[in-house]
Amino acid sequence: MDNSKTSWPSILVRASLFALIWSVLSGGATASWWIGIPAVLLAVIVSVALIPPTPLVWSEILRFAPFFLQRSLLGGTDVAWRAFHPRRPIAPDLIEYPLQLQPGLPQVFMVNTVSLLPGTLSAVLEHNVLKVHVLDRQKNVVAELKALEQIVARMFDTSLNIS
Amino acid sequence: MNPNDYLSAALLITGAVFFLAGTLGLLRFPDVYTRLHALTKADNVGLGLMVVGLAVQAESWSVVGKLLLIWWLVLIAGASVAHLIASGALQRGIRMWKP
Repeated sequence: MDNSKTSWPSILVRASLFALIWSVLSGGATASWWIGIPAVLLAVIVSVALIPPTPLVWSEILRFAPFFLQRSLLGGTDVAWRAFHPRRPIAPDLIEYPLQLQPGLPQVFMVNTVSLLPGTLSAVLEHNVLKVHVLDRQKNVVAELKALEQIVARMFDTSLNIS
Repeated sequence: MNPNDYLSAALLITGAVFFLAGTLGLLRFPDVYTRLHALTKADNVGLGLMVVGLAVQAESWSVVGKLLLIWWLVLIAGASVAHLIASGALQRGIRMWKP
């Protein structure tokens, strides 16, 4: 099957990530690998059973990291300012954003990231439409969501299908 | 105190300010949705700053790794639980506050 050929690299990536987490948790003690190796193997088996291996574009993930850090810092500062402000300046609204991402991991990733961006909170995901609660309706949230959606699509190496 | 300690202290205090903002938002914001905004975003930044502040003082790389792991897990838990609470609230028909 063509499928099994493409999934091996991503299984290896998962195994090395779990091994890295184990070495961090155990503080790098050599003897701990007697338990560590079975634990890593079990973790790989469980993760493959729960989430089928998907190809990831690592260069895009490296580009996502600074974008995410900057936006979440901005989001935290924005909401902190509104909380401290004597007049508590908020004007919430609920908007509907039709997702063009594939269902599954890309959509879940997007939904979780939206809640950490400035002024947006993922409320409901239904039939590929994401209802987003926004803190300030004056802001152009849709442009921000579009930009994020494109980055996520590139990370998971999928195209945005026009729905 | 060496320069590292000053940097660490500055980061930890700034982080605490964000935690204070998150709690203040939880008390001052009018409904469940806006309160979730305050909690997820402000606490995420607050914890991030504290993690960096502690990492500056860390004695080994595995401690830095553990701190980053904690931040990452809290990030995932915070974002997905906020989504679940918001979607549960909407499905139960809890109205959002409008000015």
